[in-house]
Amino acid sequence: MEQIIPYSEQFSVYLKDESRTVGHAQSISFPKSESDVIAQLSDCSRQNIPVTIQGARTGLAAAAVPFGGHILNLSMMKQVLALRQENGQFFLTVEPGLTLLECNQMLSNRRLATAAFSAASLAALDEMEGKSYFFAPDPTETTCTIGGMAACNASGARSFLYGPTRNHITALRVVLANGETLSLRRGQAVARHRKLHLTTEQGTNYALSLPQYRMPNTKNASGYYIKDNLDAIDLFLGSDGTLGVITALELKLTLLPASIFGISFFFAAEETALRFADTVRHQMPGLASVEYFDEAALSLLRRQKETGTAFSALPAIAKEDLCCVYLELHSDTPEENMEKMKRLGQWMEYCGGDQSRTWVARNESDLSLLHFFRHAVPESANQIIDERKKQYPLITKLGADMSVPDDRLFDVVHLYRTTLASAQLESATWGHLGNNHLHVNILPRNEDDYRAGKALYLQWAKAVSAMGGAVSAEHGVGKIKAPFLSLMYGPDAIEEMRQLKLTLDPQSILGNGNLFPSARKETWK
Amino acid sequence: MNLIVCMKQVPSSNEVRMDPKTKTIIRDAKSAVLNPFDRSALEVAVQLKEQLGGHITALSMGIADTARLLEEAISCGADEAMLLSDRAFAGADTLATSYALSLGVKEIGNYHLILCGKMAVDGDTAQIGPELAETLGIPHITDVTQIVFASEKELIVSRKTDGGRQLVQVTLPALLTVVKEIAQPRLPSISSILRANKTPCTIRNAQNLSADTSRTGLAGSPTQVVKTFTPPPKKAGVRLSTEPAQAAREIAALFEEVK
Repeated sequence: MEQIIPYSEQFSVYLKDESRTVGHAQSISFPKSESDVIAQLSDCSRQNIPVTIQGARTGLAAAAVPFGGHILNLSMMKQVLALRQENGQFFLTVEPGLTLLECNQMLSNRRLATAAFSAASLAALDEMEGKSYFFAPDPTETTCTIGGMAACNASGARSFLYGPTRNHITALRVVLANGETLSLRRGQAVARHRKLHLTTEQGTNYALSLPQYRMPNTKNASGYYIKDNLDAIDLFLGSDGTLGVITALELKLTLLPASIFGISFFFAAEETALRFADTVRHQMPGLASVEYFDEAALSLLRRQKETGTAFSALPAIAKEDLCCVYLELHSDTPEENMEKMKRLGQWMEYCGGDQSRTWVARNESDLSLLHFFRHAVPESANQIIDERKKQYPLITKLGADMSVPDDRLFDVVHLYRTTLASAQLESATWGHLGNNHLHVNILPRNEDDYRAGKALYLQWAKAVSAMGGAVSAEHGVGKIKAPFLSLMYGPDAIEEMRQLKLTLDPQSILGNGNLFPSARKETWK
Repeated sequence: MNLIVCMKQVPSSNEVRMDPKTKTIIRDAKSAVLNPFDRSALEVAVQLKEQLGGHITALSMGIADTARLLEEAISCGADEAMLLSDRAFAGADTLATSYALSLGVKEIGNYHLILCGKMAVDGDTAQIGPELAETLGIPHITDVTQIVFASEKELIVSRKTDGGRQLVQVTLPALLTVVKEIAQPRLPSISSILRANKTPCTIRNAQNLSADTSRTGLAGSPTQVVKTFTPPPKKAGVRLSTEPAQAAREIAALFEEVK
């Protein structure tokens, strides 16, 4: 069995994630199997030691950052366990530490690691011959683990078409805080109204009272997923590591479209870009992504390219191009995509743009270039903050992850623009325009900016909640956004969530500090 | 400045599939792309045209589907394209290919500069450029990293050598092969794709070009492919200790391992 190791300096990298939050811990372990997880979790449970679950630490809400206690790092659990086919649909069971990149690379060339496969799985693999499948959710950081994606119900650019991670997971194995296990398959454990009964494989029954709040009708990764007649799987997906440890996931695979076109549409004014995106997003079938980059985001990229860093391969952006809408088209044939491209060009002109101000990627390498372009924006913002942090250690990037309903898109952009201008804060905005889900990133130049940015962020969280939106649409709540969850749902709903957690995890050892400031009766020291 | 850019269709990924019977690359037309080095050569041509004016012709020899990729070249800035396609050209090695391309160049005529990628990502021979120049009897410069000065009469270019950087002046007409990093190829726009759709690619066969068929295709290829194989993946390196005695022990252990 893999052992619990006392924390020492060599593990310092495990105290932080991509949010740049740094925590502290007393011990760490790297389980290699579910039985390791059970043993280690039971051990911590007996000693009432809080446990923070980690994957690749690519999260942006500090959910994987330990605030004391034990770190359960699942990155060594990356086996591919099984493949099955049902009615022409393929389902792949994996351990949580497998990364999205590893998963999709294996699928793209059908070179799955089959060491754990049964004869039935090998037969299913033979049936895949001649077709290409992928796991559709696509957070920008592809080195994230599948377990991490499930924990925060991650989305990505293509979730405009394919939806978030939860839409692509059909079964889970979960280890509860006491070491007992749940085997959940979609459709088999469903709540009656707001009452959910779960029975562990060891025979313990749990009667869960689900909170009464109503989730916003937008892209959402804020707090527990709750609705009438909830499927138990959906409770654990997006629970930010607070209810149990996911040890296996069955992924519903998606047939790779035969033709993918990525098109960047450049505009001279934000209003024109928004009008274009709003016009096309619900009229164009097969639109997988509707992304946006504002003037400041494009400036970041121009600067990166000029300084000759790793981003020198970025295509040059013309100086008259001030903002960009990126659309990705998934179709059955290239001819179909050509037709759609022509229509989009016409719409661009209709909205006041110029279709010669576009970049079209029609093959794998050009698409990779545009994905690199997309990825380079947050990376560039992080570099700026890392540099500024040397002088002002307190500051971090303040990245909004809020979504609003379709009819409030222009309102929320107006809110961001006017408040940023009056606060005189530097920012860069990019993200998922199609889902009214923009990552407005405040880039503090000093500690005063940082404080002003945090205050502004709180103001936005209130306004977005009032618009019927979500304070976290895809990054999860983790520790950083816990105060905003209360703003969104109110203190009563938070208390209901806390009670729900305590039913499954009475000592509140899992994910201490995630979702709620602290669910533990005593603060861990 | 009138420019000709030689372009090759190559498999789209690094995982090239081989036909076990013919020992040749399986060329899947659907997933083929323009050789990335040639795209950089095209970008250099487009930038020269922007600077000096002129006309760009993309030239390729290949199967009929290559016309689709030449259309892509037009969408990226070429004014027109010529495809040399004939069964008589099939199975050509670099010598036979450069002969056929030389006929294409003569057919296009009136050129100042020919640009080629340094090599193709499938064959990695880097022979086409120099062989084409020799066949045409014009000077050539390989591995060009920068165009330092350009006019319709002469060029000054920079190339990387083992010893550093070499500046070379050449009188036109001439041929250059360029490294990939010389220019970041631009992506086509919707307008340029629509324009390319309306620009038909000129197709020429061996007869049109009055080719000597003993010098084309398999018949004109002295190269014989006896065997092809995929080299085994390179093992990860080993970092040795900085302490000399320990490093010596580690090296001795490695010798034992490979014995």
